[in-house]
Amino acid sequence: MVKEYIVIAFTENQIGVLNRITALYLRRKINIESLKVSESSIKGISMFVISAFTTQEIIEKLVRQLRNIVEVIQVEYYSDDELITQEIALYKISSKIVRESGMVDMIIRSWNARIIEMNPSFVVVEKTGTREEIENLRTELETRKVLLEFTRSGSVVLHRESMENTLNQL
Amino acid sequence: MANKPKIKGAEALLLSLIAEGTDTIFGYPGGQVIPIYDHLYHFTDRINHILTRHEQGAVHAAQGYARATGKVGVCLVTSGPGATNLVTGIADAMLDSTPLVCITGQVPCSLLGTDAFQEADTISMTMPISKWNYQVTQASEIPSAIARAFYIARSGRPGPVVIDISKNAQVEEFDFSYKPCIYLRSYKPHPELDLTLIDQAVQMINAADKPLLLVGQGVKLANAESKLLEFAEAAGVPMASTLMGISAVPNNHPLFVGNLGMHGNLAANEMTQRSDLIIAVGMRFSDRVTGDVKNYAPNAKIIHIDVDAAELNKNIKVDLPIHADAADALEAMKRGISYKDRSKWMAVAAENNKKEYEDVVLPSTDPQGEYISMYDVISTLAEVEKGNAVIVTDVGQNQMFSARYSKFNQTRSFITSGGLGTMGFGLPAAMGAKLGVPDREVVAIMGDGGFQMTMQELGTIMQNHIGLKMIVLNNTYLGMVRQWQQLFFGKRYSFTQLENPDFPSIAAAYGIANRRVERLSDLKAAIQELADAPGAYFLEVDVLPEENVFPMVPAGASLSDTICKE
Ligand SMILES: Cc1ncc(C[n+]2csc(CCOP(=O)(O)OP(=O)(O)O)c2C)c(N)n1
Ligand SMILES: [Mg+2]
Repeated sequence: MVKEYIVIAFTENQIGVLNRITALYLRRKINIESLKVSESSIKGISMFVISAFTTQEIIEKLVRQLRNIVEVIQVEYYSDDELITQEIALYKISSKIVRESGMVDMIIRSWNARIIEMNPSFVVVEKTGTREEIENLRTELETRKVLLEFTRSGSVVLHRESMENTLNQL
Repeated sequence: MANKPKIKGAEALLLSLIAEGTDTIFGYPGGQVIPIYDHLYHFTDRINHILTRHEQGAVHAAQGYARATGKVGVCLVTSGPGATNLVTGIADAMLDSTPLVCITGQVPCSLLGTDAFQEADTISMTMPISKWNYQVTQASEIPSAIARAFYIARSGRPGPVVIDISKNAQVEEFDFSYKPCIYLRSYKPHPELDLTLIDQAVQMINAADKPLLLVGQGVKLANAESKLLEFAEAAGVPMASTLMGISAVPNNHPLFVGNLGMHGNLAANEMTQRSDLIIAVGMRFSDRVTGDVKNYAPNAKIIHIDVDAAELNKNIKVDLPIHADAADALEAMKRGISYKDRSKWMAVAAENNKKEYEDVVLPSTDPQGEYISMYDVISTLAEVEKGNAVIVTDVGQNQMFSARYSKFNQTRSFITSGGLGTMGFGLPAAMGAKLGVPDREVVAIMGDGGFQMTMQELGTIMQNHIGLKMIVLNNTYLGMVRQWQQLFFGKRYSFTQLENPDFPSIAAAYGIANRRVERLSDLKAAIQELADAPGAYFLEVDVLPEENVFPMVPAGASLSDTICKE
């Protein structure tokens, strides 16, 4: 069954590792839906969060091949329900919402978002949440025909159990 | 020790290579490696640099050298076209787990990314086909880069490493000191043996009635040949070999039942299908070995031992995957094993060998004694060389006949391009092998097509007095493709016929002793002449133009659907 799998890899923070990792997805013609690389809580070790749609059989083989990359220290894959996942999104909204009564309030209170910039031509709203929550707000704003621009981050994740425990032994 | 004079990056590179035990480099100079060549000029007492005629020749020679000796093969080429010419050999070494360190020149780091003259993005190009690669842009990085390169190339599952060195790093001066690499925290090449898995394996083997050991190249790479034989003998388990495993087990071993796969032996394939327990060691269940995976070894449980965890459950779902070095696992398994007489099971081998002999081998030789089959050439060579030669093949029918009919007493004696199937591999690889094991007889077996892909290396053989024996099996066809066209494409021989030059005169032009044989009656004497020749010798044998390699498991078919004739 094809579904979303999130691969979390800890690697040496070295040039070329990103290419080696993505090349293994490319080789199997798997499209990467989102990718985030940043320094982990340990200095010199990068954390990759890569999400892609594929089957369990393929992701399992892929992860074993990822482990073979010399600079890769640890790799696991998860389905999204195993992880605490948050994304951040920015919505640029037409300033006419200010004139519509209750609209600003609706965004901030019922969607748990906040306004980070406001000027005569647009309002920028920031929201963190699951991808689903972020998408829902997007749809809401689109149906109200007020969404001007939209951008969102890749996933920021934590496993319910610790992933970095073994890394601390390095 | 204090105040050592600074040295240049180029010299540091050569000292680092020597520290890693390099005695031979295959290479080709150019603008971005001239500083290295300038230092090589002063190192000829310690490093034997072999100037090939093409960079592809250099990398295949390094592969042949590595495969024959077990050491890391080293090649050195310039940037741009020099580096791109290595690509085929690097990919070949990756698929066949051959330890290589390939050093490529690069434009000065100030020019990187500017499309400078002879700039190619070697790192990106070789990334998916190398085990590791690294770009050096400062002289001070050279010792540690070379140390890591050798460590990574030869440990775990070996493979090719590319070190790209920008020209400025070759000429910069720095304080040189060398420390070999023995540990990288992100890289665990030697898996810890899980003894509970070994116990399970031993129980399964002790209980099995029809066990079969599949021997891959991993046995050679782990230097586990004698451990394998001890284990097989202690257990009474027959052994079959993959193409890459050939020569790990001597052909005349009573438990050896032949080769696996597409052009393997009936016995080995049939026993795979009938076996109740497969014990695969250092092999990867390539599609050329398994045929249709759905009908592969239908009656068997499978134990798979490999040093590369990514191979476990990759091509075939197995019952007991064991992530281990072959030598560790075989030694540990031997302890608990009990001997079982399996003469009834071994009789399956004898029965199939008889069938194969009658259906395939016997009909190969022309009863009139006129036409020459590739079988005649390879089996006569095996007889004359008494199983002591290193056989290096090219790709195609010549390769499969060599695999089928050569005989070996010693390991690391069969060198072939298994995974990539690279035509043009044979001649340069054989050259490298001969330089690696100069005291052994080395024979290159090639087709008329493949020989012409890298035949410029005759120049290297001439210049360096390499005593290589060469046989071109001339069938005037790209024979293996023609065979498929005959069997599966209605005999439409689309662009597979070759009009060939007079091969012996080409050898003669390089001053190499040569001969052509057209009749079976002359064959034995010619091969004897080849074997007796003190130096290089070139033999063209005009073989049947439309001969086929049998038995054959058609691509995608089950091992049970082997065909033995047209
Ligand atoms: C570089 C390369 N190109 C194409 C092929 C496809 N191919 C496989 S076998 C073969 C024919 C080889 O002909 P020849 O060298 O004469 O050997 P024969 O099969 O006749 O013994 C070809 C074209 C290949 N393996 N390698
Ligand atoms: Mg041919």
